[in-house]
Amino acid sequence: MLFSQLDFWYFFAVVFLLYLVLPFRWQNRMLLVASYVFYGAWDWRFLGLIAFSTVVDYLVGLSLARTSDETRRRHLLTISMVTNLGLLGVFKYFNFFIGSFVALADGMGMSVSIPVLYIVLPVGISFYTFQTMSYTIDVYRRELEPAKNFFDFALFVAFFPQLVAGPIERASNLLPEIMRPRTVTWEGISRGAVLCLIGLIKKVVVADAISPTVDTVYGMENPTGAAVAVGTWLFALQIYCDFSGYTDIARGVAKMMGFGLMRNFAQPYFATNPQEFWRRWHISLSTWLRDYLYISLGGNRQGKRRTQVNLMATMVLGGLWHGAAWNFVLWGGYQGALLVLHRQFFGRRRGSGEGERRRLLHWGGRLLLILAYFQVTCYGWLLFRAQSWEQIADFTARLATIRLSDFANLPLPGLPFPAITGILLVLFWDIATEASGKVRFYESWPAPVRGLLWAVLIYAFAFGATTTPSAFIYFQF
Amino acid sequence: MKNALKTIACTLVALIVLDVLAALVLVGPAPASLKTFFNYGRSVPGKIAQWKANPDLRGNLLNVSWLPDLMDLSAEQAAARPAGDEPVVHTYGMSFVVRITDAAQKARPDLQLAHRGGPGAPPNFTYAAFLKDRENRRPGDVAVLGILSYSVGAMGSFSNRTWVFEQPSPFTYPIFLPDGDGGLREIEPVVETLEQEMSLEDDPDLAGRWYDQLRDQDRVFAPAAFDLSWLDISPFARLVRRSLAQGDIAGRKAEIIARPEDGTMPYAEVLRRMITSFNAIAREDGQIPIVLLVQGRDPVDPDLKALLKPWLEEEGYPYLATADHQSPRDPRAFLPDGHYQPDIDARFGQAFLEVLDRARQETPPAR
Repeated sequence: MLFSQLDFWYFFAVVFLLYLVLPFRWQNRMLLVASYVFYGAWDWRFLGLIAFSTVVDYLVGLSLARTSDETRRRHLLTISMVTNLGLLGVFKYFNFFIGSFVALADGMGMSVSIPVLYIVLPVGISFYTFQTMSYTIDVYRRELEPAKNFFDFALFVAFFPQLVAGPIERASNLLPEIMRPRTVTWEGISRGAVLCLIGLIKKVVVADAISPTVDTVYGMENPTGAAVAVGTWLFALQIYCDFSGYTDIARGVAKMMGFGLMRNFAQPYFATNPQEFWRRWHISLSTWLRDYLYISLGGNRQGKRRTQVNLMATMVLGGLWHGAAWNFVLWGGYQGALLVLHRQFFGRRRGSGEGERRRLLHWGGRLLLILAYFQVTCYGWLLFRAQSWEQIADFTARLATIRLSDFANLPLPGLPFPAITGILLVLFWDIATEASGKVRFYESWPAPVRGLLWAVLIYAFAFGATTTPSAFIYFQF
Repeated sequence: MKNALKTIACTLVALIVLDVLAALVLVGPAPASLKTFFNYGRSVPGKIAQWKANPDLRGNLLNVSWLPDLMDLSAEQAAARPAGDEPVVHTYGMSFVVRITDAAQKARPDLQLAHRGGPGAPPNFTYAAFLKDRENRRPGDVAVLGILSYSVGAMGSFSNRTWVFEQPSPFTYPIFLPDGDGGLREIEPVVETLEQEMSLEDDPDLAGRWYDQLRDQDRVFAPAAFDLSWLDISPFARLVRRSLAQGDIAGRKAEIIARPEDGTMPYAEVLRRMITSFNAIAREDGQIPIVLLVQGRDPVDPDLKALLKPWLEEEGYPYLATADHQSPRDPRAFLPDGHYQPDIDARFGQAFLEVLDRARQETPPAR
């Protein structure tokens, strides 16, 4: 059941109507059942994994609150980590590590034969395991009271709008929302509807329409450098619209029911350096990695060299979080190297002084920096999207020998007109948000102008709604 | 709440204004491509009614490829063909087959061709055409059965009107299903001729039976493509219809494609039986049968080579699989309209001649 399919909206209409008529406690139980139905519609066999992870972390959380013995607390935390990372290890990384080991052994002239398990990757496993782990770590750190009600906690783990592709919610944000009565307001419904609409435009009108062209380029045997460049620019747009579109819809659906999920994207392609990029891209993951991995490794408190190692380790593991493949590790390493280099040459204060730099830089200069850093980001997306080491090497070589004249003769199908309309609308939306500094920049506009904007968005969505909905890219992570 | 209602009201008014403006632009100065884009969303009956009312309309597909008309033409050509004439290559297919065999003719100008085809025609059309054209072929002729990957998912359909939503050519064809004796059971469409199609408006009984048959027996029929034609007046409604209808049709096709052996349309088995019958009939009539497997560029289409090649080899049936000579995954092999590039067609044409020569050596002409 995809957000971009009618089935989901029928499902949500039923859930929302029930939500409106039920009292608070029953709302949560109904949402829990709905969340399990939503996940079970993909593959009911993996419901057991969520339930198992939920029970373990619920019990660990309660036990952590009942003891002050630090050794016992560490053991309890270990149980939770082993359970969650164990699930990830078996279902996501087992074949990857086995395959890599066999390849390494082969490379060293040893013949090793280890049976490969044919395991289906449970959709969204990386998201919900990270979410439950953050809960246990927060309780362990005494930063959070454990959930007393099992059903509330189970809903925190499985809440359907963000279950399969985030945002990776913190317990300190979502659990209180689950535990207190919520109010459905016209304001919440309209704000939620706007988020859903812009999310659908991003996904259906832009990402799905761009996807065939990107697939074409990354399926070509001898593309020109220009084709690689255009394909990768389009992939940058595709992955942004696909993933942030999902997040927008997730936040919109939750918002209609009175939940406030965290923002996951803040116009990431307007970043001018890696530090800024990671404050804007997949915010729930980058802050998770910062709070639970980077800081746990020592962060920047143990000297320059150790800080660089911590940054690299965090980003490489962040890359591996995306998928069990070496190109994701390489992408993580690339992002880590960018952060290290940026820190080395520009320093932390300057890197984080966005406001200061904004004042210093003329808008034209900032635009140039944005465009330049976008190319750097795009090379990362090439590593991310490539299907093999050979393709990375080949495409990189083609980019290095790119000829401007090749852009005039691209062997690619043109983008459909609705997709171009969608891209322009998304660009307008991001520029308006960035320039105003307000996520809901439109709320200060007069009602007729707002009405016109919604009408244009609705028309644009209908204009670009394509035939077969594609799965969201981040489902596979 | 007052604010929300105000915004909703403003949105509705703006939507109506936009829709009226779009409608005015579309009947007036809009570029032809934009008009075509919006026309794609008209209901199928709406599009067909437009073609009936305006025969000169660009892209009118009303009188294209009706099987009885094709057979009449074929009979005329057969009657005019002198005795002892060179063998003719009769093709039953679609534009891909025409382009490939035309390319073969370019390489060998003495090749005599007779094309019987329809746009994107599914195998049930090509097989039905082959069966109905039996009287018009002679011993020594060649029969080419074209199978296009793109239309295999539509083998449970009576007409392109149900599965090619944007360009619903109304010509019809039977559906073939496996029977209990290893053969095929044929379900004829209620509407078989252009004359019947033209009379639908004046014959509510025929129109009703035809709609019922499509709804009940056509496996790709999507109600969103046919119902509520009066909504065609609104460009916005056309966009919504296009999205819903395309999604529904694609979903139905995908369901069929996913189950080649045991679905509601077990197309793998039907194709094998069609090809078996095609070979048997052609050989019985002293003709040379050649199966042409054309793989289109869409990766969601069934892989014809994987589906049929091993079986064709095993049975010893002459065939040409385009995927043997050109990867359909290379976008440079295709023109923007989805056909193969002329040089690729030339390569296929050469391969076709090789298959033909080999088949002729194995099956000497019967005359």
